[in-house]
Amino acid sequence: MAAPTRLGGFPAVLAAVLMVAAPAAATPGDADRGEEIYAARCLQCHGEDGDGLSPAEERLNPPPRDFTSGDYKFRSTAFEDFVPNDDDLMRMVRDGMNGTAMPGWGDILSEQEMWDVIAYIKTFAGLEEEQPSAQVDYGTMIESSPDSIAKGRDLFLASDRCSECHGRDGKGDAVKRLKDDNGARTWPRNLTKGWTFRTSNAPKDIFTRISVGIPSTQMPSFADPKSKKKLSIEERWHVANYVASLADSERVVRADNTVIKAAKVDGGLPSSPDDPAWTEGPPATFFLVPQIVAGERFFTPANDSITVRALYDDTAIALLVEWDDRTQSIPGDAKAEAIAEDGMGEDAVAIQFPVTVPQGMEKPYFLMGDATRPVNLWQWSSGTTDTSEGVTLADARGINDRRERDASASGLTATGSYRDGTWRVAMTRPLTTDAIGDDLQFSEGRFIPIAFFNWDGSNGETATKHTMTTWYWLLLAPAAGSRPIIAAIVVALLILGALILWARGAAKRSGS
Amino acid sequence: MRIPRLLQAVLVMVGVYLGFIVGFDVVLGQVIPSSLLTMYMFFVAAGVFMTFTYDDERTRELVAPIKALVEDPSRRWLRNLVFTVVPLAAGAATFVQMQPSFDAPVELRSIHPAPPTTAKIFGRRVNLLEVENPFRTLEKDDPEGFAEMVVEGAEIYIRNCQYCHGDKLDGRGPYAAGLNPTPLDFQDVGTIAQLQESYLFWRIATGGPGLPKEAAPWISSMPVWQDFLTEDEIWKVILFLYDYTGHRPRSWEHG
Repeated sequence: MAAPTRLGGFPAVLAAVLMVAAPAAATPGDADRGEEIYAARCLQCHGEDGDGLSPAEERLNPPPRDFTSGDYKFRSTAFEDFVPNDDDLMRMVRDGMNGTAMPGWGDILSEQEMWDVIAYIKTFAGLEEEQPSAQVDYGTMIESSPDSIAKGRDLFLASDRCSECHGRDGKGDAVKRLKDDNGARTWPRNLTKGWTFRTSNAPKDIFTRISVGIPSTQMPSFADPKSKKKLSIEERWHVANYVASLADSERVVRADNTVIKAAKVDGGLPSSPDDPAWTEGPPATFFLVPQIVAGERFFTPANDSITVRALYDDTAIALLVEWDDRTQSIPGDAKAEAIAEDGMGEDAVAIQFPVTVPQGMEKPYFLMGDATRPVNLWQWSSGTTDTSEGVTLADARGINDRRERDASASGLTATGSYRDGTWRVAMTRPLTTDAIGDDLQFSEGRFIPIAFFNWDGSNGETATKHTMTTWYWLLLAPAAGSRPIIAAIVVALLILGALILWARGAAKRSGS
Repeated sequence: MRIPRLLQAVLVMVGVYLGFIVGFDVVLGQVIPSSLLTMYMFFVAAGVFMTFTYDDERTRELVAPIKALVEDPSRRWLRNLVFTVVPLAAGAATFVQMQPSFDAPVELRSIHPAPPTTAKIFGRRVNLLEVENPFRTLEKDDPEGFAEMVVEGAEIYIRNCQYCHGDKLDGRGPYAAGLNPTPLDFQDVGTIAQLQESYLFWRIATGGPGLPKEAAPWISSMPVWQDFLTEDEIWKVILFLYDYTGHRPRSWEHG
């Protein structure tokens, strides 16, 4: 069976009829009770009619699911089936969807309440009486191993099977303009960020996605015998193991890692963003959030995090800023414009520092400072077909008061490099400059507030439409030097001396 | 067999130390700050010392093993071992203590800074002691109209607030993890349940930049909503916040 019954128009009536006709409900849920819960918890995003049309829709990326189509992206029924398993729906409701506005409801709804909601949601597409007929065949699971991962990699790249959309390194950067069945733009997953997978990046979940595809999107089923790129069960396990292995732990945001520790180096700072010497500085990764605070706001970002390292020597500081960006945005370039949103700008990044390191707790306003606490912005932009990359230095006292200065007078330089879905931008500046009142002066051992701004030009991000971080810290970590070891030796010798004196005194007393 | 008094003293100290660790970590579910633990243990050590040296005989008994260690020639090998280990351990502890600390500065947040009595909101001086939610009376007078207002508030919330404060109003919206301080959890009884509606009106309208001086560090990411929402919209959102969480705003009458 599994004939898709798309009856979005009059689901409630149908549900009522079916309730009477077939009292033995297919799921343990009660659709009537579910309707009340839906009204209180779900309707605000998914809409009164379950069609995903709500006040939230245009500002959410991805948009809320349209339940009337009956398409569910993350199901474990076989690709040719249309009906999700109840457990698939339960998982989405209970655990939520990573990287979307859909939270997990398991903490405030009881299991029965979630089943009730599921029973109601199914009525939007007339699925309440449908039973899935075919399940994904997992065969025998193949444990991950270097051999399996290598095989998976070959299959991933062979005839551009997966890399066609996900890119050679899996960063989702093989630039194709993708849309789902509703016309909403979709992006191939950046597979190196396993924690952003909607369900999870456990091999079994990846196997399920490869086997079923993601219905209503351009992610196809690789179990479909009609597909030219079909994979056997064994092959799908290898690809799943490979994809799971791509997770890049350096890109994981760690809540306790709020300090970029600049490492001191001898023998010069790297000027190229691809210099291997950068690895001497430990990385720190921060979330990028869209600028929804002031001016023209922005709600649908594409880039989600930024990774930073820093090095310094006796005269200068160098920062390497890296971020995954699926598109290299080159205004004027026909190929780049074809996949970009209208009004493409350059890709860009800015580092924000306070002009003076605050003595107390009060930092400048995190969005470009304020009237009494100005900030420095070191801004690099990628260039167009007519202009090369460039760096600007600006002082800002709020989003509407931004004044550019000569970057070269302060010795600020920046160089960028784009490869396989990642931008790397190196910025250097002397530790101190002549513009003492205008430029931040760096010194060792102080916690210096630092924040970042990022523009994905292909995603329509220009001017005040961008992503950003809140304030974090930069620390030029001075080497401990010889003081701790000298102090340790002195303390040890003093105690030893005292003990010996005590022992000798005691020996004398007992001797006399 | 009787436990030597010196060992007793050591066992009591170790027992209390482990008790602190277990009590805080396992029972209360939070790690005890090391500075606090050091202070507690100082008092414990002082107490143990006083108890164990209550009179001369006890004192003699307590120090007897130490005296023997230093003075008894038959224990020379043990003495030499102790005399090697103790200075080395002290040296190592000094070395570790002297390493520069790279822990980020701690930033404390005052969740409810005291409101000013008046604030400039929507271009006029608003007396925060007097201003009231103009729709609150509908709750009694026109329940249906009130319910509609709540629905409108929900729509405003979903379009503007859920990114940070979350669909569940629990402060865990999709962008919450990228903010410092993290957005407030309205479900928590320590937030809006403690406040009057006029306070929320002031905080929403003036946002992070509207925080008073005393509320430093001045780092809230809360937008200045009077730039984006109308006065009525803010009051409707406030209705929704209380309705969804089931909390009641505090009022002068009910304390």
